[in-house]
Amino acid sequence: MRVLTPHCLSEALDLLAGDATLTPVAGGTDLLVSWPHRPKDNLSLLDLSRLHAELAPMRMTDGHLELGALTTYWDVITYAPIAGEFPLLIDAARQVGAIQIQTRGTWAGNVANASPAADGVPVMIAYDAEVVLGSRRGRRTVPLCDYYTGYKQTRRAADELILAIRLPRQRRDVHWFHKVGARQAQAITKVGVAVVHGEAGWRVVANSVAPFVCRCRNMEAALESGLHPTGPEELRAIVVRDISPIDDLRSTADYRLNVLARLLYFAPFMPGPANA
Amino acid sequence: MTVVRTLTVNGQKQRVAVEPWETLLDVLREKMNLTGSKKACNVGDCGACTVLVDGEPMNGCLLLAAQLEGRSITTVEGLAQQRHGTAELTPLQQAFVHEGAIQCGFCTPGMVLAATALLNRNPDPAPADIADALAGNLCRCTGYSGIRRAIQRCANYREDGTCAAKCAAAEGHEGTDGHEGGKARRRARESNEGTVFAAGDVGDEPRISDVKSEIHAAAPPRRFSTVGVSMPRVGAADKVTGRALYTADIKLPNMIHGKILGSRIAHGIIKRIDTSKAAKLEGVLAVITGADVPETPYGVSPARYDEHVLAKHKVRHAGDPVAAVAAIDERTAEAAIDLIEVEYEKLPALLDPFEAVAEGAPLIHDQYPRNINTHVEQNFGDVEKAFAESHYVREETFTGNHIYQCPLEPHAAIACWDHDGTLVLYTSTQVPHYVQYTVAHVFHMPLGKIRVIRPAVGGGFGGKAAACPLDLCAAILARKTGRPVKMVYSREEMFHYGRGRHKQHMRFKLGVDRDGRIRAFKSEIYLDGGAYSSFGVATAYYAGSMIPTLYNIPNYRYDGYRVMTNKPAAGAMRGHGVPQPRFAFECLLTMMADDLGIDPIEIRRRNSMRPDTRTVNDLDVGSCEFDATLEAVARKSGWYDKYGKLPPGRGIGIGAGGFVSGAGYCIYRGQVQLSHEKPREHFQKRSIFPHANAVVRITEDGMAAILMIGAAEIGQGSDTILVQCCAEALGIPPQRVRMYSGDSDISPLDLGAYSSRVTLMAGHAVSRAGWDVVEKMKPYAAAMLGCAAEEVFARDGRFYSRRDEGTKARSHEGISDEATKRQGDEGLVAVSHKDEGVVWEEVARRYFNDNGPLVGTGCYKPPEGLGGDFKGATVGTSPAYSFGSAVCEASVDLETGKVRIERFTDFHDCGTPINPLAVHGQVEGAIVMSAGETIMEDVQFDEQGRILNPNLHGYLMMSIKDAPEIFSGLVDSYEPRGPFGAKEIGEGSTLPVLGAVAHAIANATGVWIKDLPITPEKILRALREKSAAKRGAELVETCEVGAE
Ligand SMILES: Cc1cc2nc3c(=O)[nH]c(=O)nc-3n(C[C@H](O)[C@H](O)[C@H](O)COP(=O)(O)OP(=O)(O)OC[C@H]3O[C@@H](n4cnc5c(N)ncnc54)[C@H](O)[C@@H]3O)c2cc1C
Repeated sequence: MRVLTPHCLSEALDLLAGDATLTPVAGGTDLLVSWPHRPKDNLSLLDLSRLHAELAPMRMTDGHLELGALTTYWDVITYAPIAGEFPLLIDAARQVGAIQIQTRGTWAGNVANASPAADGVPVMIAYDAEVVLGSRRGRRTVPLCDYYTGYKQTRRAADELILAIRLPRQRRDVHWFHKVGARQAQAITKVGVAVVHGEAGWRVVANSVAPFVCRCRNMEAALESGLHPTGPEELRAIVVRDISPIDDLRSTADYRLNVLARLLYFAPFMPGPANA
Repeated sequence: MTVVRTLTVNGQKQRVAVEPWETLLDVLREKMNLTGSKKACNVGDCGACTVLVDGEPMNGCLLLAAQLEGRSITTVEGLAQQRHGTAELTPLQQAFVHEGAIQCGFCTPGMVLAATALLNRNPDPAPADIADALAGNLCRCTGYSGIRRAIQRCANYREDGTCAAKCAAAEGHEGTDGHEGGKARRRARESNEGTVFAAGDVGDEPRISDVKSEIHAAAPPRRFSTVGVSMPRVGAADKVTGRALYTADIKLPNMIHGKILGSRIAHGIIKRIDTSKAAKLEGVLAVITGADVPETPYGVSPARYDEHVLAKHKVRHAGDPVAAVAAIDERTAEAAIDLIEVEYEKLPALLDPFEAVAEGAPLIHDQYPRNINTHVEQNFGDVEKAFAESHYVREETFTGNHIYQCPLEPHAAIACWDHDGTLVLYTSTQVPHYVQYTVAHVFHMPLGKIRVIRPAVGGGFGGKAAACPLDLCAAILARKTGRPVKMVYSREEMFHYGRGRHKQHMRFKLGVDRDGRIRAFKSEIYLDGGAYSSFGVATAYYAGSMIPTLYNIPNYRYDGYRVMTNKPAAGAMRGHGVPQPRFAFECLLTMMADDLGIDPIEIRRRNSMRPDTRTVNDLDVGSCEFDATLEAVARKSGWYDKYGKLPPGRGIGIGAGGFVSGAGYCIYRGQVQLSHEKPREHFQKRSIFPHANAVVRITEDGMAAILMIGAAEIGQGSDTILVQCCAEALGIPPQRVRMYSGDSDISPLDLGAYSSRVTLMAGHAVSRAGWDVVEKMKPYAAAMLGCAAEEVFARDGRFYSRRDEGTKARSHEGISDEATKRQGDEGLVAVSHKDEGVVWEEVARRYFNDNGPLVGTGCYKPPEGLGGDFKGATVGTSPAYSFGSAVCEASVDLETGKVRIERFTDFHDCGTPINPLAVHGQVEGAIVMSAGETIMEDVQFDEQGRILNPNLHGYLMMSIKDAPEIFSGLVDSYEPRGPFGAKEIGEGSTLPVLGAVAHAIANATGVWIKDLPITPEKILRALREKSAAKRGAELVETCEVGAE
C-alpha cells in the first residue's frame, strides 16, 4: 500500500502513464466508503491534493462554466455567479449527503465514481456538460451524456485524469431538479430527475433508474413535439422506454417508474391538466 | 510506506508520520490521543467525527491523513481554549450544556463543531439553516430538539455566560414548581384533573425553537430545593469538551486488540477450522475458537441459557461468533481474522417464524421443538362469550419490523487480569451487574473477583442490556496473553451481533359494545426471535402483559410464540416487546372508532385506565392520569378542529401508551452468588435482595458528598436525577454531590438501566442514603441549634430548627409518602431565613471529629407480592406505571408517497418529574426515534440471511431534517410509591408514537398500512390498489346500471 503525492499535473500524468493501476483520490468520500478494509487492501493511491493550482479553479469564461477537477460541492454553493445561470448545480449540491460531504466531495469524483445514483451527474448532463480528460497522450473532451458505457463503466482510460468539467453557457428557461430519497438528508437517491429547456431544446436526465445516469431521449422528444399529457400513465408509457429500473434495498422498480412519471407529470413546466 | 505530514492541530503545528490508509480520525485518536472525535460509523454517515479543516466541517473518518499537508484542524478539544486561552466553554458549548442538547454525548463533539462552523458563517441562523448545517450529524438521544434550542439561544450565552447564569437561576425558581405540595397531589388523586405543565416552562423566556411554550399560572412555593429543577446534566461539560472517556477512548499500558470472526453463513455445522495461518501472522498473539471457550452456556433468561462465547459446533446466524484473535493492533487483528479458514456444512436458513415452525423444518436448537423457544398462553375471563355479546368485532393482522437500537457508540470492552486473579472489565453496558453475573457464570468464578468498570456510555436503548461476546472474548484473550485486550465493534458488527427489537407478526381481534367500550380482546403473536433466547422469553410475556394496563379490558386472551430463526438474536429494545403490539392495538382501536363514528380520543377516554386499579392480568396500577393526558393532547393539538377536517395529504393521528417503572423482579432467582453454587430455589413472590443500593460518604471537611451507586448512566441522565434526589435528602446543593456510578468496586449493586427502573428504584436508594446521613448529623445540629434532634432539618446547605422557623410540623394531610415522613413538610413553607441556622459542613465536621467517617446507606426493594399466580404473572409487574398520549400531524406527498412528520404534541404522566428538562429530553428523543421506526427503519436480509444494510446509510435513522416539531407537556401526577412522587419516562415515551404516526398517515391518505415501516412504496401501492378497487366497483356499478 502506498500513496503518491505529485506536486504538479504533469508529474501526476507521468505517474499515471507509468502505472495504470494507480487509483486517483480527490476528496476520498467515495473511495474510503467503497473501500471498507482500508488497511488490508493493497492499493496504490495517486493523491491529487497538491494539484490545487492546476485543478481547482472554477471559471466562468465567455462560453463556459468550467469546474476544475478539484471543485467541491461547497465551492459551487458559495460561488455567487453560478446561481443565476446554473441553479441546478446548487440544488443538486445542497442535496448531496450533508455539509461534511459537500465540503469535501468533488464533482469530478462524482463523475468518475460512475454511480447510477450520483446526484451531480444528472444536472450536469442536463446542462450539456463535457468531461475534459487528460493524459501524457494529450487532452480530449467527452460529452458527459456519452461518458458512461455500462454499470460503473466509463470512457476514461486508465492513464487519464479528469481535468475539468465544462458546461456551456446558454439561454435556458426551464431548470428543474427533484431528488427522492428515503430521508431528508444523507440519502442515496431512489429516483431523481433533472429537466432543462434552452436553446438546445429539452433535456431530461434521470438517476437511479438505470445502470448509469442517462438522458431520457423519448421523453425529451415528446416534450419537443409539444406533448400535452392527460395523466401520469401517459408519461409512464413514454419514459419506460428510456430507463430500466430495478428492485433493490432502497426501493422497487415499480415505485421508481411510477414516481418518475408522476414527478414529471406534476412538474411546473409540464403542459397539461395538472398545471392548468 | 509511511509518509510525514505537517498539520496544525488546535493551533499547534505538528509533524506526524502516517500510513497511506490512515484517516485523520485514526491519527487524532490513536497517535495524538485526541479521543474527543468519535468513531461511530467510520464511513461518513453519522458526523460524530466531524472536525473543522481550515474552518470547514468534514468527517475525520473520510479524510486520508496523507492528503492533509499544511491543513489546519480544529477538534472539539480545541474549541474551549481557542477563544479564551483557558479551558472555558465557548458560548455554544455553554448553550449545549444548559439547553438539554446533550444526552449520551457521543454525537456531541461532532454536533458542536458543525454548529460552530455554522455560527461562524452565520451568527443568526434560521431553523432551516440549522437543519442544513447539522443534517450530517445523527443523534439517537435528543430528537435534535435540545440541539436546535442550544444553537438558537447561543446568543444568550455570549456575554461571559451571564445570561446562562440567569437562565439557570430562573429555572430554579420559576421552573415547573407547580408539581409540588400536597394540594397538587390531592387534586390529582381526587379529580383526575391534571394541571398541565409544558416543556416551555423550563426557562424564563419562551422557547423559540420547535417547542412552543405554555406559561402557566404562578406556582405555589417550592417544596423541594433540588428535586423538580431542570438543572443541567452532571458530566455535560466533559461531554461537550471531548473529555468524557468512553470505553473505546481508554488506553491501558501494554494493551493489545481483539477481533471476532463471525460466520459467513446463517445456519450450518462447523466441519473444520484452521487457524494456523492467522496464528503465524506477525503481530498475532492469540487465536481462539469454540474449543477454547467454556462449555457453560450463557444468555439472559437463566432457564434458557443457549449461547456459547464462540460457536461450539454449529452456527445459527450470519455473524455468529466463530473465532477471535488478539494482536498488537486492530489492523493486524483484522488481517488475521481473514486468514482463518472455516469449512461449514450448510443447513437451510430459516428466515421467518412461520417457516421455522413448519413441520419438518430443521431445528436451530435441539431443545426447542418446532423451533418454538417459548409459548405464552394467557386467558382471562371468557373471550369468546364476550365477542359473541359484542356490538362490533373486528380482526386485523399487523406486522412489525426489524429495528435496532443503534446507539451512536458501538459496543466496546477492555479486559485485564490483576495479579491476584481479579478480572477488571471496562465495558460499554447498561447493566454492569448482569455483566458481572454472566461473566462469573461463564468462567465459574465468584462475582467478587470481577470488577466491572462502566466508562461513559454512548447510548444503549436495550442493545447493551446483557453481557456480549466482546466482554467474554476480551477476558479470555487477556487471560491467554497476559495483557489488557481491547475490543470494539464496528458499526457493521453491531448489526450482526443483533439484540434489536423482535419483529412481531400480530393477529388482533377486538370486540366493543355500542358505545365503544371494550368487551374482549384476543391477540396471537409470533415473535421472530432470531438465533438465541436472549431476553426473548420476557419479550414474549411483555408483548401481552402491557396491553391491559392502558385500557380496561375485561376479557383477554393472549397467545405468544417466540420462534427461533437464523437471524441475529432479538432482544430488549426501548419499550421491550410492547411498541409493536401497542402500535397494532392503537390502530385497531382507531379503526373501530372510525367505523362506529366515535371520535378516536373519545373512545380512548371511555376505556381509559383509572387510578388504583388491579388489571385483568393482576397488575397493580397506582397513580394514573391517563385521562388527563388524552384531554391535554386533544386541547393542545387542536384535535377537534382538525380531525376529519384536513385536506387530502394532511393527517392527524392519536396514539397512547405507558410502561412499567422498573420490573418487579430480578432477571435471575435467588441471591447474589455464583449461579453454579446456588441451590435450586422455588420462586418467591418477593425480591430476595435490594435492587438498588447506595452509599454516601461525606468528605471530612463536610464540603462534598460522594455518592456511590452502580446505576448505569448511559445518556438517559440517571446520574443527574440521582444527584438531585440525594442532594435533596442531604439538604445540600447538587453541585456538592459527586457521583460514582461506574465502578463495581466502589459503587454498590444496582441492577442497571433497563425496564425504566432507575429513577424509581435507584432514586429511593440514594435518597435513603442521604436521609441516613442527615439522621446521623441531627444530634450534632440540634446541639448547635439548641433544640431537639427531631426538630432539625437540613436544607440548602444549612441545618435549621423547625421551632426557629416559627412553624409547627405540618400535618401530612393524609399523605404518607416517604419524603414527607423523612423530611417533614417544612418545605411547604418557604424557609424564611429569619434564623441563619448552622452550616451543614460544620455539623458534618463535628460528626467526623467524634465518630470518624460520615457515611449513609440506602437501598430499595420492590414491594412484596407483586403480580398474580398464573404462569408469567411476574412479567409486567412494577411498583408503578406511566401513561402518555401523543398526537401526530403529518403530511404525505401523494405523488411520491413521502411522509413528513410535521408536529408532535405529547403529554405524559411520569409522576412528579425530578428534572423536567431531562423528562422532555427523553420524550423528544423517543418521538424522533419511534417516528423513524414507524416510517423508515428496518434491517433487511437477503435470502441467505445476511443483512443487506448493516450501516447508517442503509439503516435509516431520522436526521435533524426529518425530525418533527415537538411539544412535550406533563400532567400533574404524584406516585406515592415513587421517590418524591416520580415514575418513569424513558420507555413509556416511545409507546404512543407508532400508533399516532400510523393513524396520521391513514388520516392523510385514506389507507391504513399495517406492516411497518410505512414506506412511500407501501403507501403508493395501497393508494393504487384502492383506486383500482374503486374503479372496479364503479365498473360493476355501471354494468349493473346498464343491465337494469
Ligand atoms: C455519507 C455520504 C453521503 C453521500 N451522499 C451522496 C449523495 O447524496 N449524492 C451523491 O451523488 N453522492 C453522494 N456521496 C458520494 C460522494 O460524496 C460523491 O460522489 C463525491 O462527489 C465524490 O467525490 P470525491 O472527490 O470525494 O471522490 P473520491 O472518493 O476521491 O473519488 C471517487 C472516484 O473517482 C475517482 N476520481 C476522483 N477524482 C478523479 C479525477 N480527477 N480523475 C479521475 N478519477 C478521479 C477516484 O479514483 C474514485 O474512483 C456520498 C458519500 C458519503 C460518504
